[in-house]
Amino acid sequence: MSRTSIRNKLILSFLVLLLLLMMIVAVINRLTHDFYTAQAISVALALAAGAIFGGYFSRSIVRRLNSLSAVAKEISHGDLSKDIPLLSQDEIRDLEEVFASMVKDLREMISDIQNVAGRMEETNRALCSLSEKVMASSEEIDASAKAIAKGSEQQTMIVQKTSLVINNSLDQMDAAGRQSAQTVSKIKDALVKTGSGETKARETLKYLDNVLSQIAENTEPIYRLSNKVDKIRMVMHVMDEVAQKTELLSLNASIEATRAGEMGKGFALVANEIRSMAENSKRSSQEIGRIVDDIFEDNKAVIEVLRKSEQDVGKGRGIITGMVGTFKEMLSGVEEISTDVKAVEAVTLRQVKEIKGLLAHFEALSRLAQENFVSTQKTTVGTKNQKEGMQKIVELMQSLNTLSEKMMASQRRFRLRGD
Amino acid sequence: MDIFIFEAANQCIGIEAKYIYRIADNVIIVPVPLMPACYEGLIYYRGDLFDVIDMGRLMENEATMLRDDPYIILLKWDAGKLGLIPDRIVGMQWVENESGTGTVFNKKGDTIKLMTPDEIWGKLSGLAYGA
Repeated sequence: MSRTSIRNKLILSFLVLLLLLMMIVAVINRLTHDFYTAQAISVALALAAGAIFGGYFSRSIVRRLNSLSAVAKEISHGDLSKDIPLLSQDEIRDLEEVFASMVKDLREMISDIQNVAGRMEETNRALCSLSEKVMASSEEIDASAKAIAKGSEQQTMIVQKTSLVINNSLDQMDAAGRQSAQTVSKIKDALVKTGSGETKARETLKYLDNVLSQIAENTEPIYRLSNKVDKIRMVMHVMDEVAQKTELLSLNASIEATRAGEMGKGFALVANEIRSMAENSKRSSQEIGRIVDDIFEDNKAVIEVLRKSEQDVGKGRGIITGMVGTFKEMLSGVEEISTDVKAVEAVTLRQVKEIKGLLAHFEALSRLAQENFVSTQKTTVGTKNQKEGMQKIVELMQSLNTLSEKMMASQRRFRLRGD
Repeated sequence: MDIFIFEAANQCIGIEAKYIYRIADNVIIVPVPLMPACYEGLIYYRGDLFDVIDMGRLMENEATMLRDDPYIILLKWDAGKLGLIPDRIVGMQWVENESGTGTVFNKKGDTIKLMTPDEIWGKLSGLAYGA
């Protein structure tokens, strides 16, 4: 249906009304010849038609405006569920459409506001929880920063102490390096002395060999003496037997002489003398035997002593031979020690170098620890500020929450379709 | 009277020189069973058998000092032949006694017990087996 403006409607209506009036006037003029009556009737009819038409027209406009007003009133009470009736085909239709569009926009806006408020509430809630977490995290960060600060302080102290210890170690290692150098020098001396000791031990060994051969040479006559003493003992034994036989012979001779009576007295004297000589010879022989036994015992003791000396010298020789071997081992050992000490010296020097590098690292670490300490102090201040900021944020969020609640309360006043 | 003196069991014992036949050594003594302890055995010397008695054991029942090769005094008389093993032989001496028994003193004043071969034999005969 095509739209007609009120002005056109009014003009058209006026024209229709005028045509109708003219027709009525024409009819009335035909019916009556009285001009005035005709005029009066025409005016009356015109007025009546005008009143009816005006009333109808105004009522039509007022009715629609009232309808809009009622809807506006309900909207003002928050009821956006009602649709705006689009009844008009004139300028009011524009108003109705604008109004409907406004209601629609308002509805969407309210819906958006509802969504936004809901989201805001959710966001607010999430933000609250987040801010609490952030607060907790801030506190943890603060505590951690404090702990880190304390740790950094202790770290600084430890690093400083460690640096001191490393410095001392460095000094000691320097001293050890110097000591190693001295040790190397001493080891060289020891090498020379060990070599000299080995030479002397070899000379001693040679000397002991000479002593051994000398002892062997010296022992030879004593052994010969021992053999001779044995032979003397054998001779003494023979002499003993001879003396015994002589004694026996003299005894038997004296028996025979006694048996011969007076004739045998001279022979008895001779026999007695022989017996006396045999006894003397026996005693002398026994005395010589004792002396020879003594000599034999002494000789035996001397041989024992010589054998013992020989054994001792042999043992000494063995010991000196062992010493020579030991000196050789010492030489090789000292050479190994020299090599090891040189290696130790090189290692010590490398260690000194590395420890110096380590010390530089420790100094850097100390600086870093100090910087850490400052940073953690700053972090502490930052977290404090953050905490304060977060508290402000929380306050703002609380106020936002209040606003959101108020907004929610306000939007609850509006009733949308489907509510 | 000439007597032959020897020592046995710490006593000097003298026997008249006429009973002494020989002083022997290096003689093998053959043991005889079931005889008194002082009876050493028998020896065979130059065609004669002699009973050999250890005088130390006979006199005091003491063993004679150990000797490797003891002298044996051989006695020979009309009744028998006897070999005596002394501890030590002193030798031939002359004493003022004609009986041949009892006790006499030599020039040094030592006591010498005079014994006859029969007396020694009789002492041996009075001993039991193993005594």
